[in-house]
Amino acid sequence: MIPLAFDQFCLTRGNMHITNVSFALQEQEIFAILGRTGAGKTLLLESAAGFYAPEQGQVLLYGTPVQSIPLTERRIGFMYQDYALFPHMTVEANVAYGLRVRRVPEKEQKTLVEAIAGILGIEHILKQYPQTLSGGERQRVALARALILKPRLLLLDEPFSSLDPATKKRLYEELEDIPRKFNCAVLFVTHDFHEARRLASRIGIMANGSMLCIRSAEHLFETSGNTELNAFLGLENT
Amino acid sequence: MKQNFSLFDGASLLIAFLTVLFLTASVCTIVIGGLPFLSAAFRSAEVLFSIRLSLITSTISTLLCFLVGIPCAYALARCRMPLRNLCRLILELPLSLPYLVLGLCLLMMFSSDVGKMLKSFGIRVIFEPAGIVMAQWMVNIPFVIRLMRTALEELDGRLEFIAGTLGASRWQRFLTITLPLCRNSILMAAILTWSRAIGEFGATLMLVGVTRMKTETLPASIYLNISTGDNGMAMASAIILLAISGIALLLSTLLHRRTASRMEGASPS
Repeated sequence: MIPLAFDQFCLTRGNMHITNVSFALQEQEIFAILGRTGAGKTLLLESAAGFYAPEQGQVLLYGTPVQSIPLTERRIGFMYQDYALFPHMTVEANVAYGLRVRRVPEKEQKTLVEAIAGILGIEHILKQYPQTLSGGERQRVALARALILKPRLLLLDEPFSSLDPATKKRLYEELEDIPRKFNCAVLFVTHDFHEARRLASRIGIMANGSMLCIRSAEHLFETSGNTELNAFLGLENT
Repeated sequence: MKQNFSLFDGASLLIAFLTVLFLTASVCTIVIGGLPFLSAAFRSAEVLFSIRLSLITSTISTLLCFLVGIPCAYALARCRMPLRNLCRLILELPLSLPYLVLGLCLLMMFSSDVGKMLKSFGIRVIFEPAGIVMAQWMVNIPFVIRLMRTALEELDGRLEFIAGTLGASRWQRFLTITLPLCRNSILMAAILTWSRAIGEFGATLMLVGVTRMKTETLPASIYLNISTGDNGMAMASAIILLAISGIALLLSTLLHRRTASRMEGASPS
């Protein structure tokens, strides 16, 4: 079944107009949305989570319009650019939050938190508060918080933008393994060509609220007849 | 960097210092005049009654303000509320009304048939201590709504959204994310509200009058003592009121500093 599908999706928020976006994610696929700042990438990602109702078209989560599924039952993991960790909770409480509100027994919570902390290498910071963590640690905590509930779809907003190159490289490897380890599809937003190419199997290129094209990672830098697309990719127009 | 001392800076400093001097002088007049009567005030059954009544009524009215004010503020800040702007205007309008007018509104309302019906159910407000709570509540509720609405609007709504995606219901989001993150704002607002309630006089005067040892709050005690020419006791009561307000202001400032430093610590590195 298709985890996520945008069908003729249109939305206006303030000065940003998203027009006629259509694409679908496959099971366990990593799909990147690539575009400059202000292209409408984050708005599209938030729409995938059902944050905004479409003005036209629809967003389908496993075949059902996302807005018709209660927020608590969408089974999506969402990670913002600044990770949006709960500042008043320890790392352990942040990661266990989803289990706690679902009233999972405490013993089981502890086991699950320890397991995911082991996978993402955050066991040593479980008692710390988010303010005391580095960017890379915060990112892994946010990932652990989202993944502990085994979401069907992981939505990531510029997940690596505030990290140093060494941490980025390490976390790229972790993200590559996530769809297989957690059986979920990943949609992430980035403005970095190389990041998109390295991680995603397909890349949707956005500009001014429109999806200019969807390409496989291998064919990202192929010249086309679209001058706007060529200019964005830094290719010469023919 | 060396800064030039301009005429504008000089004028501003002069006005600021003159204002500080004027306020200090007026407070000192009360303190110096009232200090000799302070021990007598603490031995006076009437003053002790007024302190007790003020503390009890202001605490109850502050609790009631938050019980009503937080849901109102949440509705204004977070819910899709029909006629939101009109509702907001009505809820916050009493902020700009004289307290005497608010007291008059309450007096007229509780003197009407509705008030008489409430009285038959045992809810007595006019000329009764319960009226003091009602008057303090009426004066403070728009203030609490404004403070709480601002606190909720400043709170990062994405955190509640994330909590929702993790399975938290509206109630759980409110109790585990919204309230704890607003905790310092709530405490600060509670201290200020309580301090305003303890000093409330205008609306109380209209609704319950000033009856010795019955509806005599600290401000009412000052009024009664001045009316009977006992200036010493009036100033002693004023010192007690000043001390309570001063402590409340100090606590609120300390909390504000704590919140500010916590926010700095929470900002992304």
